[in-house]
Amino acid sequence: MQTKWRYTIPWHIVFLLFITTLLFPILFAIGSSFRPLEEAYNDVLNFIPWNPTLENYRIFFGSMDVIQITFNTFLIASCVTLFKVCTSFLAAYAFVFLKFKGKDVLYFLFIATIFIPFSVTMIPNYLVISDIGLSDHLVGVMLPQLADAIGIFLLHQSMRTIPMSLIEVARLDNLSHRRIMKDIVLPLVKPAVTSTSIWFFILSWNEYVWPVLMLKSVEQYTLPLALQMYMSSEGGTHFTVAMAVAVVTMIIPLLLYLTFQKYIIGTFTSSGIK
Amino acid sequence: MHVSKWEGRRSYEQWKAYGLLFPSLIIFALFMIWPFFYTIYLSFFDWNMVAPTKTFVGFQNYVDVLTDPITYKVLRNTLFYIVLLLAMNLVVPYIFAFVLDLVLHRWKGFYKGAIFLPSVISLVVGSILFMWLLNPVSGPVAIVLGAFGITMPVWSKLDGWVIVGLSLITSWKVFGYNFIVLYAAVNGISREVIEAAKLDGVPLWRIFVQIVLPLSGATGIYVLIITIVQGLQYVFTPIKVLTQGGPYYGSANLIYQAYHEAFVLYRTGHSAALSILTMFIFFILLWLEFKFVERGIHYAN
Amino acid sequence: MKRWSIIGALLMALFVLGACSGDSKGSKEQAEGKTVIEYWHVNAETQGGQTVDALVKEFNETSDTVEVIAKYNPDMYKGLMQNLQAEAASGKAPAVIQVGWSFLDYFSNNFEFVSPQTIIDQHFEEDATFLSDHFLPNVMDLAKNAEGVQVGIPYSLSSPVLYINRDLLREAGVSEEGPKTWQEVREFSNTIQQKTGKHGFYMQEPADNWATQALLESNGARMLTDGKATFASAEGIEAYSLLRDMVVKDQTALHVPWDQGVQSFIDGNVAMVYTTIARRMQIQDNARFDVATVPSPTWEGKEVRLPAGGAMLAITAKEEEQQRAAWEFMKFLYSVESVAAWTEGTGYVPPREGVAEAENGLKTFLEENEMMKAAIDQMDGVVPWTSFPGDAGLQAEQLLLDVRDQILGGSVDVETGLKETEERINELLK
Repeated sequence: MQTKWRYTIPWHIVFLLFITTLLFPILFAIGSSFRPLEEAYNDVLNFIPWNPTLENYRIFFGSMDVIQITFNTFLIASCVTLFKVCTSFLAAYAFVFLKFKGKDVLYFLFIATIFIPFSVTMIPNYLVISDIGLSDHLVGVMLPQLADAIGIFLLHQSMRTIPMSLIEVARLDNLSHRRIMKDIVLPLVKPAVTSTSIWFFILSWNEYVWPVLMLKSVEQYTLPLALQMYMSSEGGTHFTVAMAVAVVTMIIPLLLYLTFQKYIIGTFTSSGIK
Repeated sequence: MHVSKWEGRRSYEQWKAYGLLFPSLIIFALFMIWPFFYTIYLSFFDWNMVAPTKTFVGFQNYVDVLTDPITYKVLRNTLFYIVLLLAMNLVVPYIFAFVLDLVLHRWKGFYKGAIFLPSVISLVVGSILFMWLLNPVSGPVAIVLGAFGITMPVWSKLDGWVIVGLSLITSWKVFGYNFIVLYAAVNGISREVIEAAKLDGVPLWRIFVQIVLPLSGATGIYVLIITIVQGLQYVFTPIKVLTQGGPYYGSANLIYQAYHEAFVLYRTGHSAALSILTMFIFFILLWLEFKFVERGIHYAN
Repeated sequence: MKRWSIIGALLMALFVLGACSGDSKGSKEQAEGKTVIEYWHVNAETQGGQTVDALVKEFNETSDTVEVIAKYNPDMYKGLMQNLQAEAASGKAPAVIQVGWSFLDYFSNNFEFVSPQTIIDQHFEEDATFLSDHFLPNVMDLAKNAEGVQVGIPYSLSSPVLYINRDLLREAGVSEEGPKTWQEVREFSNTIQQKTGKHGFYMQEPADNWATQALLESNGARMLTDGKATFASAEGIEAYSLLRDMVVKDQTALHVPWDQGVQSFIDGNVAMVYTTIARRMQIQDNARFDVATVPSPTWEGKEVRLPAGGAMLAITAKEEEQQRAAWEFMKFLYSVESVAAWTEGTGYVPPREGVAEAENGLKTFLEENEMMKAAIDQMDGVVPWTSFPGDAGLQAEQLLLDVRDQILGGSVDVETGLKETEERINELLK
């Protein structure tokens, strides 16, 4: 035991220091959101709100329909996640368990889309979505995000661990593919599906570049976009209100994370890419 | 009879497979593959996105891009970003994952949870936050360093430093996810091999290099690719909020530069040519992925 | 399994709900039978966004024929131009937009617009002299492009002023009235750093060359003469060298991004800041010291030439009905009351006459906000913000930004940098 501690104490110190550094910005943001701007400017280091104020939140809630915006963000993130996981699941199932012509080429093609940077897709996608009249519409924001090769890749890796013989037996029993997916594959890859879903939800929740291009009406905004209402190069950034928006933006992913923390990390751990 | 039933079944399977791939395929075709070809097409034209006519210029855009010294500066920056991002988001989390799994015994849950936490926060939030935290004169970091008599460099205006700063901001967000994925891989390695090595008195670093690395290699490569491809795109947000590519392209990477050409200077052709160049580099990575990850998995099974 | 289907059902319900609520909004607007037009602006909540909303709301309540929808565009005039670009590519256009001065030529070369006077002449005889009655000719000239076409009407006007921290100036033993000339700015800056250990000066560094133009042209240099770049003259080099020396040689001036520079002024780490009057509210509300503005410094014995900042309003509506609605809305925005509200909300200088002194205008506001005075007093010295002509105009602007980074970063000397940039810009403008 003695030797063990000698071993581990330096590492515990490293981890604790590291975590302090990681979490400090979050605490700073939360603290600042409850401080008057004037105080935040003049007493930067002392980020704990000794005289807490709700003024920043009042400004945010007073100038925007926060409920609507949160709802928009939630709607986009949920739909995107649901569709993405479904399309990924179906595609991964086909790639792993079915034999068909052009499988390797198609898989290569699908995976290749991971490597297309958004600078390539931005302009053409804007044109397509405007043509079908969905710019400035939540559905326009969702559309290009509805499939994701990373999802296919992750579920593919996870399904590979299922013995092929299991599926073959089921097929010989004349079980339909739908039944196999639902009753055999899904329960087995559920951890991977869960961790992928949560990750997709968080990604979509925080998505910034594409919605900025798409959404112009304030009623259609998502939370990360609301932030830019308080940033202006000419008028300056209203830092404390921006932090209040940041805190509101963080709440749902953070709650989601803290509630399911054990589960999320557990599923990540058991669904590793093997 | 028997044969034809099997034949029928096979073609049924084929159509079933295409049916299952169809939803993804249609999205990819519309929003990934078509734009890709459209960008190739644009790279041969001189166009500012609004003019009714596009002028065909052949390979001129490529010539311009490849003879522009700024392209090479941006390329060097991109490589520097890749090196830093790999160090911060592959090497360090790999070691941390290893240590947490095999060296430490207490507070594991807390460590895992706390390290993952920043990855749920958006990078726009992170960028504004760090603009304030890392103000070289008035920010908390500068004040603390000042108390130790250290003057903080004006990092956002200095070549090199600026890339370090932006990479740190991006890593703050990316680290947790990579860490958890790598931890999962390390954790999935059979305990017996490692315990045996420990009993034999093999030093930790050799366990890491000779046992853990090879056995979790597939995940390692996945994280490597994701770090490069996603990492370069993630950095975009802090660049846009904090430096706009400056000082003198000191912080621009290929993706930001393509955006800058298209949406700031409206040189769509140059932007497209630059994007195609970026794709070319990425495709080399894709080839590596197929060569190692997919094969690696075959071996592992 | 069950849980998943419940979640799925919930999501579908949400989705349908969202789609429905979106539709109902659309139909409500049309039912009122008003002409609906879009007004694109760049005013974030920190920079007059609430005033925009209030003005639009007031207009919509009083107008029986027109309904305005205000749309905020992030990332200032550049961002608005990007959105307009995308909108035009898809064949649509808003009715009224704010065009930043440095985009004047780019906008007029690339987008369809109608000169307001044309619409007035066609449909609004009663307003025939509205523009000539209420605007000074030199102000209207700001919105003319290189070919002399009146593209729009000036709306947001700003100019650069020097903000000073009087407490620090007193502590350093220099005149608390602030420096009058650029040479004094440098001397003050040196003294302040020696006496107080604080930074002396910061000049705004956004992604444009506005403040640099003020510095150079006030010394007699010209950004552009007869369609050619001429800023690398002896005067231009002299002016730029002063700034560079303060940053690189004396190290009394800060070289940081805009927001950080202003932050460091507000918390008392920098004694003087040269930046737009549009920052007045942010600085006035948050500084704990004795803060004041003084007019833009001059060069010994020379007259200041300050580029107008801000934007004009241009009409991009294509259909006649929309164009008429656009002018009705603009006329409302240019009324004394609206302009007064606009000035109070944004800190811009009123673009039209008869607002500053009027009782229903800004009289009391200006008495209460002394910091506005410097900007209003120096309006005589305001000149157009140089917008390089032709398709390569934006690239020319970018080259100037590039050389600013290089000069202030100390990697190139002023003369070589400016001369090379001038050559390259003239190459582009050919």
